[in-house]
Amino acid sequence: MRGVPTVLITVSPEVSAQMRPPRALYPKGFKIGNSLGRPGMRELQRKVLRDALGLLTENTRPGEIITREYPDYGEQYDPPQVKTGK
Amino acid sequence: MTLSRKCVPFTPFDRELARSTIAIVTAGGVHLKDQEPFNIADELGDLGFRLIPPGVDSAELMVTHHHYDHADADQDINVVFPIDVLRDLEAEGFIGGIARKHVGYMGYTMQLKAMYEGTAPEIAAEIDKGSRADAVVLTGG
Repeated sequence: MRGVPTVLITVSPEVSAQMRPPRALYPKGFKIGNSLGRPGMRELQRKVLRDALGLLTENTRPGEIITREYPDYGEQYDPPQVKTGK
Repeated sequence: MTLSRKCVPFTPFDRELARSTIAIVTAGGVHLKDQEPFNIADELGDLGFRLIPPGVDSAELMVTHHHYDHADADQDINVVFPIDVLRDLEAEGFIGGIARKHVGYMGYTMQLKAMYEGTAPEIAAEIDKGSRADAVVLTGG
């Protein structure tokens, strides 16, 4: 098996970073449950999906998460933090 | 933050997007309304996954997942499973086509080893054989 190229869209960048995804997009400020944007915002959803797929052809660093901003989304949310320490 | 010590499973992409077929794999608990829902009663999580056909009517999809608020996905499944969005990108020529298989699973488990060594390679095998996907978009909740 050669493997299948993947790109992740994550709204929990710190949590996802721990798994070192090959390619990943964090649409900044999107809340959990809104990976592509809000319901019915098809133009925004298309933009996010084009950007995510676009990472397949860009020279990204494996394990790195790319943050992009989408002002059309509206109200921004803080992503969940990874707890540190034991 | 602790990083995974496993190597990054990076597979190069050496194609043009406009000639590529794309599959969606989501951890957002998406499945067809007539498929068995994920078992949210089991505190250990559900290790299963559901295959979603490419021609699916997005109104026939639903979410069974109790570890994120899926009210928005209930209104528009495309916020976690962008099948209609993918169709738009195919229509505009940004991608070449839509894969023959897509996958929904419930991205919550206390059985990490079973998920990593069982479910994940099973999903990868489904995509690898018969989906004709050149690349996969992964989404969470």
